[in-house]
Amino acid sequence: MTARPVARPGPGLRGRLGKALPYLLLAPGLLWLAVFYVLPAIQMFTYSISTGSVENGYTITMSADAYTEALNKFGKQFLNSILYGGVATILTLLIGFPVAYTIAFRGGRYKNVILFLVIAPFFTSFLIRTISWKILLGDEGPILAPLKHTFGLLPGTFSILGTPIAQVAGITYNFLPFMILPLYVALEKIDIRLIEAAEDLYANRGAAFRRVTLPLALPGVFAGSLLTFIPAMGDYINAELLGSPGTRMIGNVIQNRLLVQNDYPVGSALSFVLMAGILVAVAVYARLLGTEQLTG
Amino acid sequence: MNELHSSPSRLLSRRRFVQGTAMAGFAAFLAACTGTKSSTAPSEAAASAAAPSVEPSVAPSVAPTEKVVTGPLKFANWPAYIDQTTEANADTGVLPAGSSKTLEDFKAKYKVEVDYEEKIGDNPTFFETIRPALAGGLPTGWDLVVLTDWMAAKIIAKSWAEQIDQENVPNCANNLRDALRGQTWDPNNDFHYPWQSGMTGIGYNAKTLADNKIAEPKKIADLWSIPADKVTFLTEARDTFGLGLLKLGIEPDPAKVTSDDLKKVADDMQPLVDKGLRFTGNEYLQDFGQKKVWAAFVWSGDLASSGGADDKFAFPEEGTMIWTDNMLMPKGAVNKYTAELMMNWVYDPAIAAQIADYVYYVSPVKGADEKIKALDPGAETNPLLFPTADIVAKQRNFQFLSDELETTLNDLFATLSGL
Repeated sequence: MTARPVARPGPGLRGRLGKALPYLLLAPGLLWLAVFYVLPAIQMFTYSISTGSVENGYTITMSADAYTEALNKFGKQFLNSILYGGVATILTLLIGFPVAYTIAFRGGRYKNVILFLVIAPFFTSFLIRTISWKILLGDEGPILAPLKHTFGLLPGTFSILGTPIAQVAGITYNFLPFMILPLYVALEKIDIRLIEAAEDLYANRGAAFRRVTLPLALPGVFAGSLLTFIPAMGDYINAELLGSPGTRMIGNVIQNRLLVQNDYPVGSALSFVLMAGILVAVAVYARLLGTEQLTG
Repeated sequence: MNELHSSPSRLLSRRRFVQGTAMAGFAAFLAACTGTKSSTAPSEAAASAAAPSVEPSVAPSVAPTEKVVTGPLKFANWPAYIDQTTEANADTGVLPAGSSKTLEDFKAKYKVEVDYEEKIGDNPTFFETIRPALAGGLPTGWDLVVLTDWMAAKIIAKSWAEQIDQENVPNCANNLRDALRGQTWDPNNDFHYPWQSGMTGIGYNAKTLADNKIAEPKKIADLWSIPADKVTFLTEARDTFGLGLLKLGIEPDPAKVTSDDLKKVADDMQPLVDKGLRFTGNEYLQDFGQKKVWAAFVWSGDLASSGGADDKFAFPEEGTMIWTDNMLMPKGAVNKYTAELMMNWVYDPAIAAQIADYVYYVSPVKGADEKIKALDPGAETNPLLFPTADIVAKQRNFQFLSDELETTLNDLFATLSGL
């Protein structure tokens, strides 16, 4: 008699589901990225190596002309983006850190109220907020007019609008919550007893901050910097409304090439150069800060 | 130099300065618009006063379905370009109901709504908002738009405009000034009828300049000696470069201008850009309102109709740019018949006079002159409405450029604009 093979119990529906669960959970996000990020990115890349026009269509010619033009002609705008985006990121960090610190450690029962105030500007559209800066900083606006006419502190010709100062101020204001919120989350997680322990071990408050609080807040600094710097680099609204032709950023050029001049190859090439630039900047930044610190 | 002061309030009719003569200058101006009709225009214009006003029939015709009034009529126009008692919403550009007599009377007569929106600040920017729909064969969302000659010609050449049923626009057919007929890009007015004609010159705020001890600009070159961050030029590159050519003493004749000439203009303007000069569309009106700009390249009627008391328009000594803005129905306009009724409506001389007398531009409608004079005694000496012979002699048309020149212009202008 031959023994009949006994069917071994399989993993069962539950088991199979369990294995597939991570993928199922990832699926909506992946699908979203595939449709709205990967496909457009591929499309943009093909435009960047094509020649033709909107009316007559584009043919992939593997031409690098668009990249040559993107890199040769718009150095100033790339530089402006890095400079204004970078300065604005540093400013948001300098302004945002004390705010986040105060909310996390001294907020008490007002914590939620202050957090609400931080995000309150988001209840108004980005565009309206920027336009209101245009009014605030206007030559005869509520800030400059009294300084010029009532107090005579500034000459009549003085203006802020149209200068890099207005532009950086606008970017800093618009992206400040993106810095404060991750910083708050990082600071809030810090066990207060660690700081107390440092002080018990004869660290003064400055040393305790430097050696304990700051390193533990680094993931927040990293996340906040990325959330500020990346969109700030590509921003064009602030430059359009608060700047002048001399202070244009690369986002303005991309917008103009794609939507006004219909120059898809150069617009796409510029987008790819910007993306590559940001990736390199982030990689360098991550390396400098140390990646193991960043996951918290 | 002729200098035009605007009124303290846009709500009131204002006719405060008036110099020069009327009919002959006006006719010649219109002649200059076309560039070809100068010999016939004066007598035509002089004889134009009593042009008839004809109402189209809204009764059922051979094709009754086509003659049904539908709405709301979606009408895109430039700021300060129709008689109005209130300003359009700053964010949406929508002109509030009840603001314009011309529109209200139209709505009452045809029992149809009109969404009139100040959506056009310059030709290229507005065109880019409708181009994708036109290219894709979809409705643009607009039934009637007002665009300058060169842009209107481009749209018509691409077959992106609806053909006008002349039967529905008898006023237009009868009352269009002869000097504006027979344009090479639409010789029989199959697709367009002019809205207004005007000039591009210098606008400035006299008080701010005086406060800062700067002389009022008389020449284009004078703008170069005003702090550059207080000056704006137009995003309409043809106007900006046309005036730039005049400043350098180069005749802005599209047949003679070379790419090198345009390069000279760009080189001449670059130092101003480096010092903060900006380029704007029709939103220069807001800049003047906020005293953000001291002097600018502007279109002739705007500051008079919608500027402050100290905002003035000057005809520069070197000359002005001239142009005509035209009504078109973009392909796929869903309320085409209503749009044609509107065209016909504003070509009634009395209504044309009502509009021109507010906007301070030159009406393309025969018979409007007399009505303007009756409506507003003294208006005949206002050079904005009736340019003098001296002004007319210095008008230049720099619109229809060769492909090569246009490409150069766009490239140079993009670079100047930091784009």
